[in-house]
This record gives sequence, structure tokens and C-alpha cells, in this order.
Amino acid sequence: MDNLQLLLTGFISVLTLQNVLVTMLGALLGLLVGAMPGIGSLAGVALLLPLTYKFNPTTAIIMLGSLYYSNMYGGSFSAILLNIPGDSPAVMTAIDGYPMATKKNRPGQALYTSNISSFTGGLIGMCILTFMGPALAELGLKFGPAEMTALLLVAMTSIGWLVGSNPTKGIVLTAVGILIASMGMDTLTGSPRFEFGSIYLLGGVPFIPFVIGTVGFAQVMKLVDEKDKKIEANLTQKLTIKGSMISLHEFKRLIFPALRSGFLGTFVGVLPGAGATTGAFLGYATQKAFKSEEELGTGAIEGIAACESANNAAAAGSFAPLLALGIPGSGTGAVLLGGLMMWGLNPGPLLFTNQPEFCWSLIASLFLANIITLIIALGIIPFLVKILTVDVKLMIPCITVVCIIGSYSSTNSLYGVIIMVISGMFGYIFERNGYSTAPMLLSFVLAPLLESNMRKSFIISHGSIDIFFQNPISLVLILILFTIIATPIVRGIIGVVKNHNKN
Amino acid sequence: MKKLLLALLVASTMIFPIFANGETETEQASGPFVPQQNIEWYCTSSPGGGSDIFTRTIIDIINEEGLANGQNIVMQYKTDGAGEVGRNIVSNIKGDKANYTLLTFNSGDLMPMCKNTNLRFEDFQPIAHMAVDKHLIFIGENSRFSSFEDVIEALKNGEQIVLGGSKGDDIACYNALLKELGVESTQFAYIAHDGSGAAITAMLGNHIDLLISKPASASQYVEAKRLTPILALSTSRFPGNLGVAPTLSELGYNDVESPNWRSVIGPKNMSPEAVQFWSDVLGKVSESDKWNDEYIELKKLVPDYMDTETYSAYGAKFQADYLKTIGKDK
Repeated sequence: MDNLQLLLTGFISVLTLQNVLVTMLGALLGLLVGAMPGIGSLAGVALLLPLTYKFNPTTAIIMLGSLYYSNMYGGSFSAILLNIPGDSPAVMTAIDGYPMATKKNRPGQALYTSNISSFTGGLIGMCILTFMGPALAELGLKFGPAEMTALLLVAMTSIGWLVGSNPTKGIVLTAVGILIASMGMDTLTGSPRFEFGSIYLLGGVPFIPFVIGTVGFAQVMKLVDEKDKKIEANLTQKLTIKGSMISLHEFKRLIFPALRSGFLGTFVGVLPGAGATTGAFLGYATQKAFKSEEELGTGAIEGIAACESANNAAAAGSFAPLLALGIPGSGTGAVLLGGLMMWGLNPGPLLFTNQPEFCWSLIASLFLANIITLIIALGIIPFLVKILTVDVKLMIPCITVVCIIGSYSSTNSLYGVIIMVISGMFGYIFERNGYSTAPMLLSFVLAPLLESNMRKSFIISHGSIDIFFQNPISLVLILILFTIIATPIVRGIIGVVKNHNKN
Repeated sequence: MKKLLLALLVASTMIFPIFANGETETEQASGPFVPQQNIEWYCTSSPGGGSDIFTRTIIDIINEEGLANGQNIVMQYKTDGAGEVGRNIVSNIKGDKANYTLLTFNSGDLMPMCKNTNLRFEDFQPIAHMAVDKHLIFIGENSRFSSFEDVIEALKNGEQIVLGGSKGDDIACYNALLKELGVESTQFAYIAHDGSGAAITAMLGNHIDLLISKPASASQYVEAKRLTPILALSTSRFPGNLGVAPTLSELGYNDVESPNWRSVIGPKNMSPEAVQFWSDVLGKVSESDKWNDEYIELKKLVPDYMDTETYSAYGAKFQADYLKTIGKDK
């Protein structure tokens, strides 16, 4: 129980008036930054960092930690209300969140589901971080290229759940996603690939403008079609906290997916280079294996809960390698590390030993930020929902502005805007012809990770496929992969045999 | 009316990102350059690696000593396209903003840039050369080797070995080592990571056999006994806790080295006053105690400050020599 005691000491240093206020400020800014497409936690933390030089290190890291953390909440707001993911993990939230908010007229409930799941996932992540942080970081190190390849292959199978009613169309778009992702620099050999002589394409197609285009801007074009209608939502509930609140039954529906995803997400967050996005994808894919009351993709509470919980848990989990080993899992983590150095701390494998009070204050502040963000989020949801009552013809220019600004600020150049518009046009054409774009986005995110890990594995094994079967972690993952692939086939065969016997 | 107000509110909230990224146009009075707005410092390698530490150390000293007129320096990580995109952005920055943009640039950046793109050293404004960094080879805990002699022995027995490291100069160093040891890249394979930080992670997890890195990013892991240096890719041993690693000549080969110089450059369009200002700032940084004690000394670099003029000539010559070796000197 040493850790618990240390955590309590952490709470003692966190719970001063100044620190609580700073946590609130960080949480508010994080929500705001997270809800804005294109501006992720990285920009938020980087901009705030200079402000914190004058603070003492603990106060400063508390503010940045809570900003980083609450950012994960904010991403789902624009995904649910406008179908524009505020950050990349929120892509999965939009799949169920947007239909729930518009087709089912329950935006308030969708947002509450998302926030309560975020809270649950985050809480699980933090508890795990508290009790087994350093051990978990060591476990994360065991995930080398072979293990990551196996894990990513499992994640890739979730595309199968997303292709919708027409598998051929789904596979076509999956392939398109992989092709687009292969553009740019081949980082293993350091040679350019499919860059067509353009220095911009050398960096590949940037993810944020691509997503904003295919999901958000395509949405705008669809709205233009129906501009005389109000957005499908016709709000009947009163705009009170009570009117948007979820029922006890709904709470029961969300809590189990959220708990499952919480554990899964924490673990994914610890892995080097995997991050919250992969966590959200895996959380959603796992949910497919369990029963949902409504079908996923049509606005199911379970779908929102699974991915939101996973991405918050992953955000908490990513603190484990950062604090225990000095390995930043993301750009944001690196800026935080930079902060540590500027405050005179030496990040790295010795931080937990040399600066325990600092580490534990940070962890305690995450708990605090989680609670404060939940309260703030719950309070503002009824007002946010009002966005949906705005006339479509007013919304179209507004969303367009958001799309353009978001894609510009993520790349800091007009290149992002061009990518956004082009992918928006294609996204619209696909959508009109019954192609679902979700498989394309998923393969776009996972394919480069899969490629580099698989190629690294083959360099290590000198081309032998044995590497995936040699050690227990990758072997188990490969077995899971085969089970997932074989289940429908076996089920199909059993079905045929049963039918045959009947006749 | 209410709806219109609401729409306006929504629109204005959404415009907020502009401010987050915003720059204010300030007229620069003539005379010596003094920063009046935020400075953007680009780094084209991933966080946690050598370039990142180099940049953050300088920013830290500038902030502490108040060398940038109290203006904030914001770091931008641009690793897309192995850094080419970031370099291209910086080379094209024009107007007032050119005076407020800096780029961390080392020989490991210059080599792939010349190889893969049409960008050249002369498309930038050199500012100052700061230090030189050399490489070491490390093993992790539970390694199957205990010294570089073991590695040589294993190679002679035909065993296959995987070395992991960063891009650019690490690869140049690996190629020189291959040549000296006389082994094929199929037997002694290399995995390029996005930065030294990622390579160290792979070594800590024992997924590669050996790690090549500059001391800056690895030294804290040596201190924590997670990494052990077994070979110095230099003409003499490193100081301090890296001193246990012998050079190749001690093992009966010729010494192999591929020194990586670290410098700061800016956009081509930076004004001469601003170049002078930044060159002076970096000169002061290079003389500060913190730079010498906590960076050069601690991270085992060779201090080598060059002002704009000296560095311009040095960089141009380095590039010309390199272009010749890859046959692109026309």
C-alpha cells in the first residue's frame, strides 16, 4: 500500500486553492482546445508552457497535465454534434455519436454517455497507473515490432465490422486508405515514395485535414443538399441537465463497455507509439464482440462508451512510460518532458526515484482533473446541445469555417486546406454511392504503423515469419487474430451443416 | 434574433483557433533587431532525441538569461517526410516572420536533404554552429554480448546481428562501420527509427541487438544502468561513464567516425539585423555556464561555436564534399 500512501501525499500537495484553480483553468482550456478540430493537445500544451515558467514545477505540471487530459473529453463534442472529430481518437466516437445526436434526437444523452465513459475509462487508467505504473511501463517495452505487428493485425480486423452492408465497397475503400497512407517518405530506408515530385507529398497526406475533409466537409456538402430542412434533430427535451440526462437503464448499458475499454485502453496507451487513436479503434472493435442493445454504427450507446473510455484510459496510460522511463509516447508527452527540464527536473529512468513527490502530485492532479472536467462538461452539455437548433443554412458557413481553420492550423499551411477540400469531395461522392468512409480512415491510420512494424520484424528475423510465433505475447495475439477470422467461417459452416440436416 | 446571436457565438468560438496560432504583424523599427513577438523554433526529429535535447537546452538558456527580449519560444516538431517537410516550410518563410523562425539543423539532416530533395544549404540562412557530437554503440540489459569483441566474434561466426538507430548521420556511421568490419548489410542489418528516442525504446525492450546513438540521448540511461556503451566511434575514448567503451583501433581495426555537427539556421529571407541578433544570442549561449556544464560536459559533446560567416563557409564545403560522394555534384 506504499503507492496509495504516496498518492495521498500527492493529493495533499495538489489540494491547495491555487492548484485547484489551476486545474480548473487547465481543464477548461483543454475542453476548448479539444473541441476545436485541428488544434490538439500538443498545440495547447506548447502554447501554455511558457506561461508556466513562473509557477513552481508542481503547479505547472498540474495545469499542463489537466489540459492534456481534459483535451480527450473535448474531442468528442464536435464529433457528436457536428460529425467533425476534434482529434483523431474521436473519429470512432463520430460513428455512433453523430447518428445518436441527429437521427435519434438525443444529443444530450450522446454527450453524457461520452463524458461518463471518458470519466470511467480515465479513472481506471489512473488507478492502474497508480498501482502498477512502472511495472506497466516495463511491460510496454516488451512490445517490440513483432508484438506490435500482431496487435495491429488484430486491430485491422475491426475494419470487418465497419464495412457495412456491402463488403466489396468496404474492401475497396480499405485498399484506398492503405494506398493513400503509403505516400510520402519510406522511413525505414529513407527514400521518397509516391511523392510525385512534390515536397509536400513527401510528408504524406496529413491525417487531420484528411479526416476533417472526408467526414466533416463531406457532411457540409450533404447539408447543402438539404439546406431548407432543419438539421434532423428537432429538440423536444428541455435544455436542462435533467432533460439531457441518461436513464438508469442507459447507464447500465454504458458501464460495462466503458469498464472493458478502460482496461484495454490503459494497456494500449502504455505501448510505445500506439497511442489513444489505436486504443479507441481497439475498444470499438472489442465492443463488436459483445452484445449491444442497438446495432453499432446506428447510434448505439455502447459504441460511444467503448471508444471514449478507451481513449481517455490510453491518455492516462501514456503517463506510465513518460514518468517511469522518460519515454514520451507522443508530441504532447515530449512537450511535458521539455517542461520538466525547464523546471530543473531531470526526466528519465530515475525520475520516480529522485523526485517522487513531483511524480505523485502529477498523478494526483490527473485524478483531480478527471473529476473537475467531468463536472464542467456535465454543466455545459445542455448549452452545447443548442448548436443543433441552429438553421442548416447558418450552420453550413460556420462548419465550413471550422473545417478550413482546423485543417490550416494542423499543417500551418494551405496544403492542409487543399487536402481537406479534395478529400471532402471524394468523401461526399463515396457517401452518395453507399461507400462508408470509416474503413478508409481506419486503414489510413493503422497501415503505416503496421507497415513499419512488420518490416522491422522482418529485418530482425531476416525474413523469417517465425518471429511472430516465437514469443508468448505475439503468439497469443496471432491466435486471437485467427480466432477472429475463423469464427464467422466456422459459424457459416455449422449453419450450412445444420440446414443440410434439417432438409 | 436569439438564433442569430447563437450562430454568431458559435462562429466566434470557432474562429478562436486563429488566435491560438495567430501572429501579430509588428512593424520593425530600423536599427538593431529586437524580438517583438513569439519565436517559432522548428525541430525535424522526434521528441526525446538529440536534436530535441539540443534545441530545448538552448531555449532554456535563452529564457533563463532573458536573451530574447522576454518573448516566448515555441517549439514545433515537424517530422513529416523524415523532416523534409519542416525544412521546406522554413526555407520558404518570408516577410517579418522570417526573423522569428529558427531551425535546428545538423549534418544528419543535411545528408538526406541533399540526397532526396532539391533543397540545399544555400536555401537557408546559416546562423551559428554550436557543437559536434560523435557516436557510440550500446548494449541493453540481458544482452547476448558483453563487449564489442563478442560482436566481432559473432559476425565472424556468421551470426546475424541487428543494429538500431536514428536517421542521417547514424546511418552514415553504420555504413562506415560495415565497410571497416567488412561485413554485408544482410548479416549486420540496420533499422532506422524516427529519432534516437524511439531507437532507445527498442533497445530497452531488447528488440534489437545493438544501439547506435550519440551520448546526449543515451547518457541518462547509462547512468540508470539500462544501457552499457561497448564501442566509441571516435578517435579517442569518451570521458566519464562512457569511458569504458574502447575505440575500434584498440580492437585492431581503423577508427571509424562520422561526426555530427549541430547548428542553428533560419529562413533564407531573414534580415541581416536578425541574423546578427541570433548569432550573438547563440554566441552568448555557447559561453554560458549552463551550456558548458550541463550540456557539453554532461552529454559529452565537443564545443565548437562558429559565427555566421565561418559556419556558412564550413557548411557549404561540407555539402560540396557530400554531394561529390553521392555523385550529385553537378
